[in-house]
Amino acid sequence: MAPLEDLERDYPIIDSNFRMFCASHGIFTDTDFLLHDLSALEAFARQDYAPDKLEQGIKQMISIIESGQRPWLNGVELLEDSQLNKCTLSTGCEGIDILLQGGLREGHVTELVGPSCSGKTQICLKSASHVARNSLGKVVYFDTGNSFSPKRVAQFLSLLSDPSATQTNKAVERDMSSIVCHSVFDIFTLLDMLRQLMNNLRSQISFQVRMLIIDSLSSLIAPVLGGGGAHGHALMATAGFLLKEIAHESNLCVVVTNHMVAGEAGMLKPALGESWKSIPHVRLLLSGKYSATGTRITILKHPYLASGKSADFVVL
Amino acid sequence: MTSAFSWIAADETAEQALVRIYKKRPFLIFPPPFHRLPLRAGNVVEIVGPSPSAKTLILIQAAINCILPKEWKGVSYGGLERAVLFIDLDCRFDVSSISRALQRRIIDANGLRRSSLKGNGNEYDKELFVSSMRRFLYTRCYNSFEFLATLKTLHHRIQQEKGGSAVYMLLIDSIGAFYWMDRALPTSSTGNNNNRKSLSLQTVVETVVQEIQRLLVAHPMLVLATKSAAFGDKQSITEVIRKRPDEKMPDPRDAQNKPHRCFMPSVWQSFVSHRMLLRALDGESKHQNRPTFSTEWLLPPLNCSDHFTVNDVWICSVRIASIFFIANLIVSSFAAGLSLDPQMKCRRKCSAVTKR
Repeated sequence: MAPLEDLERDYPIIDSNFRMFCASHGIFTDTDFLLHDLSALEAFARQDYAPDKLEQGIKQMISIIESGQRPWLNGVELLEDSQLNKCTLSTGCEGIDILLQGGLREGHVTELVGPSCSGKTQICLKSASHVARNSLGKVVYFDTGNSFSPKRVAQFLSLLSDPSATQTNKAVERDMSSIVCHSVFDIFTLLDMLRQLMNNLRSQISFQVRMLIIDSLSSLIAPVLGGGGAHGHALMATAGFLLKEIAHESNLCVVVTNHMVAGEAGMLKPALGESWKSIPHVRLLLSGKYSATGTRITILKHPYLASGKSADFVVL
Repeated sequence: MTSAFSWIAADETAEQALVRIYKKRPFLIFPPPFHRLPLRAGNVVEIVGPSPSAKTLILIQAAINCILPKEWKGVSYGGLERAVLFIDLDCRFDVSSISRALQRRIIDANGLRRSSLKGNGNEYDKELFVSSMRRFLYTRCYNSFEFLATLKTLHHRIQQEKGGSAVYMLLIDSIGAFYWMDRALPTSSTGNNNNRKSLSLQTVVETVVQEIQRLLVAHPMLVLATKSAAFGDKQSITEVIRKRPDEKMPDPRDAQNKPHRCFMPSVWQSFVSHRMLLRALDGESKHQNRPTFSTEWLLPPLNCSDHFTVNDVWICSVRIASIFFIANLIVSSFAAGLSLDPQMKCRRKCSAVTKR
C-alpha cells in the first residue's frame, strides 16, 4: 500500500505530472492502481496534453507490479521443488507416521483437533523432540496455555538417545537448545511474532527452522470470533494465510492444535467454525478414547490421502 | 475502388466456421459423475460445497483431462493437449495430488495392473508424464491484491505460452478465500471524495470480474472456480440442539432441500454461467467406509444428483440416482454386473435408485 510519491525515487518517470493525472482519477497508492481499469486509464492518457510520458508512466507501473509478483511455475518445476525442499519429518509416533506415509510434511499446515486430554500436546512435544534430535534445525514452539513441559521433552530425548552412549546429558542439552519456546497469550502478539519470524527467515539463511508448533491456536482465536463483526474472522484468516506463507516459502512444518465444542445432536465438532476448515492443509482428529492398542487418529482432510483413514498410535 | 458489395462477401461458410470453432474451442465432457453437461470456452463454472467435499480434486481431474494429449503412442487418453492455469488462492495445493492422479490415469489407460497401492514400482510413460505436467501452470496468491496483480498481468503470461492459443482452462481454487479479509479492509475515513474507489469487498470483486471478463475476450477459456459454502440458516455459536432419544436422524434426502447461502457479491453471482453443488452424505450412504458425496447442477437446474466416493486421488462414481437413468441402470447392471473388473472400485446396485 505504498503511495505513489515513494516510487518516484527509484522510477523518475512517476513524476508529479503523472501523479496529478492519477489523482484526477482517484489513484493515490499502488493498490488504487490495481483496482482501476487500466485500458480506460490509457485511453484518458492518450487524450491528455502529454500522452507519451503518461503512457510510459502507466507501463512503468505495470512493470513494477509484474516484477513484484511470484513467477508462474509449471508442473515439473513444482515437483522438483517439492522433492528437493519439502521433506517429511517423522513425528516419533509410529502409528501416525504410517498413516501419513512418512510423517508431517514441510510446507503443510497440520491441525490436530481433539477433545481435552486426547494427547495433542503430547504429540507436539514428542514431534518437537524428535525433530530437534534428527534434523539440523530449530523448532519454534508458541505456547498459549503454559503446557510446554521441559521435563517431558528431556524424557523423550533421553529415550531417543542410545543408552550406551556416555554423553547423553550433553546431547539432550544440545537438542533442547534447538527448541525455542515463546509464550503467547493473544492473537495480536501472535501475528506480530509470526511476521517477525517470517522476516527473520527471509533475511537470514543460516537460521534454519524446521518446525513451528502453536499449542493451542484455537485458544487465541476463539475469544475474538463471534459477534456480528467481521474482524474476528479476518484475524483468523490473516493468521491462517500467514502460517501458510511461512510454511511454503521457508519450507517449514507448521503444527497447530484445536479444541472441540458441542455441535449438533450433542456430538462434538472442531472449534473455530466453517471458515477455519479451509485453512489447514491436513486435519487430524484424535478420538480421545484409550484402548489396548492406543489412541485413534483419523484423517479429516488431506491433499492426497482419502479422509476417513485412521490408525492407532501410542505416545511412549 | 472496391465494389460496394465487397463488405458482405463471405469470409467462410457456416460449416467451415463450425469446424474451426469445434477444433479451437472443443467441448469438454468430464468422466462420470460430472458428465451431465458439456462445457466449453467462455463458460464460467462455480463448484460450491462445504469443506471437505473433493472440490480441489474435481479441478485436478478437469486439469488432467485438459493436459493429456488425445493420443500418444497408440494409446488414446481423450485429452485436449492444452495448457491450464491454476491460481491457488487457498494456498493449499500439493503437487503430489496431481502427479499421483496423472500417473494413475496414464497407468489405467495403458491397462497395466497396479501392483501396489502407491503405484511406485509401476512402469509408466515418463515422457508423456513430463510433457503433460509442463502444461500445468501454477501460481499462488496470499491476498486479494496479489490476485488482482496476477489477473492484470495474466494476458502477457498467456501470450508467452505458444502465442496464446494453447491455454484452455483457468482454474481458481476457492474464489471466496479472501472474503473475510476483504470484508475487514480499512475504509478510508479522511474523506477523499475525488472519485477514489474505496477499498472494500465490493470493489475488489468487481475488479476481479472485470479482469476475468477482459481476459476471456482476448483468450477464450473455460473458467472453473471452487467456493466453500455454508449450509442452512445462520447458526449462533451458543445454540446447542438437543435431540430426544427417540427422535430419528433427519432423512438425508431432506438435507438436499436446505438452501445454501451464497456469500459472494451479486456481481460475481451473475457472472457465473454454471453452478454445481456438492454435499457430503453421511449415515447409511458410506461406501466401503469412505465418505460419499453427492453432486447436483444448480445452474442450469437439472433435477438429478449423482453420487461419488473418493479413493485417495481418484473419484469413483457410486450410483446414479435419477429417474431418467433407471432403465439404463437396470439393463447395464444385469449385463455387466457379474463381470466387473475386480480392480475397478465402482459398484452399481441394481435396485438402489432413489427417487426425488
